[in-house]
Amino acid sequence: MNNSLLVLIASSAIVYGTPLLYAALGELLAERSGVLNLGVEGMMLVGAAMGFFVVQRLAGPGPLALGAAIVVAALAGAAIASIHAFLVITLRASQIVSGLAITIFAGAAGLSSYLANDLNLAESPARHVFGPILPQSLQDLPVVGPLIFAQTALVYASWVLTAAVAFYLARTRPGLELRAVGEAPGAADAVGINVTAYRYAHTLVGGALAGVGGACFSLSITPQWLDGLTGGAGWIAIALVIFAFWRPDLCLVGAYVFGAFSALPFILQARGVTVAPELFQALPYLMTVVVLVAVSTGAVKRHLGAPASLGQPYVREER
Amino acid sequence: MRIERRSSTPRWLQVAVPVGSVAVAFVVSAVVLLATGHNPLHAYRRLFEAAFTDPGALSSTLTAATPLCFTGLAAAVAFRVGLFNIGAEGQLYMGAIAAAGVALALAGQGVVLQIGAMIVAGAVAGAAWALIPGFLRAFANTNEIITSLMLNYVAALFLNYLIFDTLSYWRDTSSPGAEQFPQGKPLPDAASWPTFGLGTSLVIPFGLLVAVVLACVISVLYGRTRFGFEAAVIGDSPRAARYAGMRTRRNILLVMGLSGLLAGIGGASQDGDFRHLLDPRGLAQPGYGYTGIVVAALARYNPFAVLLVAILIGGLSNAGYALQGADFPSGLVGVMQGIILFCALGGELLVRYRVRLGRSGAVEAAPAA
Amino acid sequence: MNDPRSVTAVPAVTLRGVTKRFPGVVANADVDLEIHAGEVHALLGENGAGKSTLSNIVTGLYRPDEGSLELHGEPVDLRSPRDALQRGVGMVHQHFRLVEPFTVAENIALGDQRDRRLVPDRAALERKVAALADQFGLSVDPRARIWQLSVGEQQRVEILKALYRDARILILDEPTAVLTPQEARALFETLRAMAADGRTIVFISHKLHEVLAVSDRITVLRGGRVVATVATASATPEGLASLMVGREVETGRRQERTNPLTNVVLKAYNLCAEGDRGLPALNGVSLEVRGGEIVGVAGVAGNGQRELAEALTGMRGLTAGQVSVSGVQLRAGDPRDAIARGLAHVPEDRLGTGVAPSLSIASNTVLKAYRDPEISAGPFLRRNRIMRRASELIARYSVSAPGPETRARDLSGGNLQKVVIGREFAGAPSALVVASPTRGLDVGAIENVHELLRAAAARGVAVLMISEDLDEILALADRVLVMYEGTIVGERDGEGADVDELGMLMAGGAPR
Repeated sequence: MNNSLLVLIASSAIVYGTPLLYAALGELLAERSGVLNLGVEGMMLVGAAMGFFVVQRLAGPGPLALGAAIVVAALAGAAIASIHAFLVITLRASQIVSGLAITIFAGAAGLSSYLANDLNLAESPARHVFGPILPQSLQDLPVVGPLIFAQTALVYASWVLTAAVAFYLARTRPGLELRAVGEAPGAADAVGINVTAYRYAHTLVGGALAGVGGACFSLSITPQWLDGLTGGAGWIAIALVIFAFWRPDLCLVGAYVFGAFSALPFILQARGVTVAPELFQALPYLMTVVVLVAVSTGAVKRHLGAPASLGQPYVREER
Repeated sequence: MRIERRSSTPRWLQVAVPVGSVAVAFVVSAVVLLATGHNPLHAYRRLFEAAFTDPGALSSTLTAATPLCFTGLAAAVAFRVGLFNIGAEGQLYMGAIAAAGVALALAGQGVVLQIGAMIVAGAVAGAAWALIPGFLRAFANTNEIITSLMLNYVAALFLNYLIFDTLSYWRDTSSPGAEQFPQGKPLPDAASWPTFGLGTSLVIPFGLLVAVVLACVISVLYGRTRFGFEAAVIGDSPRAARYAGMRTRRNILLVMGLSGLLAGIGGASQDGDFRHLLDPRGLAQPGYGYTGIVVAALARYNPFAVLLVAILIGGLSNAGYALQGADFPSGLVGVMQGIILFCALGGELLVRYRVRLGRSGAVEAAPAA
Repeated sequence: MNDPRSVTAVPAVTLRGVTKRFPGVVANADVDLEIHAGEVHALLGENGAGKSTLSNIVTGLYRPDEGSLELHGEPVDLRSPRDALQRGVGMVHQHFRLVEPFTVAENIALGDQRDRRLVPDRAALERKVAALADQFGLSVDPRARIWQLSVGEQQRVEILKALYRDARILILDEPTAVLTPQEARALFETLRAMAADGRTIVFISHKLHEVLAVSDRITVLRGGRVVATVATASATPEGLASLMVGREVETGRRQERTNPLTNVVLKAYNLCAEGDRGLPALNGVSLEVRGGEIVGVAGVAGNGQRELAEALTGMRGLTAGQVSVSGVQLRAGDPRDAIARGLAHVPEDRLGTGVAPSLSIASNTVLKAYRDPEISAGPFLRRNRIMRRASELIARYSVSAPGPETRARDLSGGNLQKVVIGREFAGAPSALVVASPTRGLDVGAIENVHELLRAAAARGVAVLMISEDLDEILALADRVLVMYEGTIVGERDGEGADVDELGMLMAGGAPR
């Protein structure tokens, strides 16, 4: 039963969807503060590279090395995000151009490749890899076995993170203040909320989570270094946030849907079913366009739309 | 530190800032190189040689610059009026598909017809692809950033599909090994765009000349025509445009169409000038569409500046490719291009705002009110 | 009205030598001001006199370039609104700073420094807000979302925000702009109650009669400077007005119309239209304007005036009804048609709608005329003709600007309005819809604009003037229509109109 097509697709969806989920949650937080970050792909790649570096070099006990790798990946992602944050928040540069600049700077033909080269990432595989952490007996249970109990710590952590972000936004005071910053920075400023601090913090956290998402690839999915191994996941994450109406719970659902779509063709192929993978892979993008059109029309926008200040710098003293 | 908006920007500053940013970028990159154990002067010298002075280098640079001219112009015409068309990448692919298809269909016809048809096909396909986000923006008020972005992926997947997953019209089925190693069908000889030799070794592709002509046309279009006036007003204040009775939706469609048209011709140029077949991997790998946006931003959306910046960035890319190897830091080109952009974006602040240190300071005289 | 306590106590607010500059303008120059605790102190001045800037300094939004500020005798350096709030200074802005998708309670509690708990207790919060609202007689539902509220209700939320933080000094910036006369009176009672409670109220306005009705002392500002501080009991409207403008002014001048009226030029029949939120904004408006007359539409902001101007000029579609100019029916929702038929429009939001702000005066001069054969030859624009036309406009209307290349956004309000009006008149319109023509302008500019409107009427143009300023309407209009909740509820002659009766109509009361 655990080899059935449905179970295979579902568990692959979770595996491939997890990096998307991390990156999307990060992007969601940044966008809720009003900052659009198109450089997610670059941050993921740098996070992937630096995380891989740690597991490649660090001997030590597995969990410690892996933990350190995640921390390093997060810091790397945040470091790249700090460039974007400085440019668009303090210097009020165009968020689109800055994000694209980050993608070029840190992407597969940029910093991540530079680091991979200088740190010799391609010369040997990782010494530690994230694997399932629960006992085999649980993993063998029908359906819930492979889907829930056979997952890595990264996956479990992503579930906790989703719940945490959802709670943060809906019920906590800083979450409320964050939403105010994204919807009406002038109002937030007028009651003494530090708009700049919120935007910086959430953009950096966004970068950190993107870095962790990238590390999912190099520490779990393909534990070997390849230039550009994220394969455009960063771009999917950006689309995912919109598809999820800027809600963390829908990010989870969407991440697994997108994950299923990208895993599906290969699974089918292994079954001898030849279906052009591109058709499935194109679906998420087309669906996003449809959703976006629906969201853009008036009444729906008020309840479900983008944070009102997304993409615009906040200036206080301007007349 | 206080930041005040400038009421007007001196012209010298508008040129000095981009130029200055490039200079600063080279300095910062040098620091990065030094910090990672490479010799910056050595690297720069080799970059310069590989881009401009080595035999055949300048021609290769122009080869790399040509697509960036098209995608840069595509981004410039849209961005400068507030339409953020990020879809030049996909529009270029669609142009390449259409141009290759037309060239194959017209096999046996004369050169002029072939080339003309390729340009037209590329233009139409690119424009049509751009009109999808255009229509959605004009009639459904949908943000064109995401829609054009999404369509890039759809176009890339379509391109892959045509060559890798079907035995389509574009696919080469005749040569040995064609089934194992999917590849595009070679275009007829008449579909090879001409080149123009200058001096002993400089070869100028026809596409580049087309781009120069288009830059002139765009300059006139935006500076002296009613269309350009409407585009400027709509870009500045859509409400004012509506108030003035301008047909905003029509203008949005025209601008997006124009933008896509330019990227599409860029795709045709890729087929005709350089690749001579439909090459999905080759078209997708350099990211011409996205790089074009960056070129346009650096050029502050001026059509002629776009050409110059395209040559600069193209030269860098070309040099990076040529120098690829064990002892030249790979990824350096992306890093440098990124740093140039960061500096340019930072410099933009100086153009639009005046930065003051401290609390009090002299203020420039108010215009008589 | 004078509270003897306030003379001996430490002043609540003291400003010494305060100066604030912005690019191109000095908003406050060397201001010295003392506001006593427990008084209602009015800051009176025309638009642009520096009142809002000064209050923004006291609430920490701006920092003064020179000078010092003391609160309750203590020198302070306010670096942000948060600092000011912590010291008990609250402000009710003219343009609300509310987060639309949030509830009333969420907006009130947002950023409150006293409750930094991670997970706030929503129910308790709502109860507190309800209790506070009751205490001060400001009725509002704590769970309603801001976008669902009327403008008057939103203002109450703003006031509650300050009261919730126990603000001892409350600054209100032009609070009655969005209220009916009756609501304004209720607000004044609330303010006096707060003052009796020991709080200090600073009331910013450019309306003489309000200031006289509510305050203990009045400080008059002109051109960024303090001109005088007087006790309300000894002030007169004429005296205050002359302090405001620096010369003797007759309040409420009317000129007699001498030109004869012609046929009906602008006619609207049963206009129905939706507002921005999908709710009906116009519910069957019908009106007629003859050539040569000025018809004023009075009403409190938010009763459909903006939508009326937009519906007449084609900027907003109609769900029913029709508009015609000189007998020709206009296509609904098509501004170009209205322009082509000779209907000119000077919009309420001159910088956001009336001009393209980053473009030059020259470009804005031909904003509508660029399609004319004089201005463009085929697809190409005739640059020198455009320049010439712009220079002519600048000269004829005495627009103060370095030249036709000056960007529209760099002009002062008065000059910008001249450019807009000049451009509209250049098209020789037969009818003109003008909305809030003198909002934000100083007295000199206001007179200018009024003269231009009278001149247009004298030429035979049918002028429909929509304004929230009743004084302006009474000064200019031949007939006054009152708008309430999207319909015309009354019509009176401009000559000898009864202000109280108009106020009643504006508030939805029954006409006599």
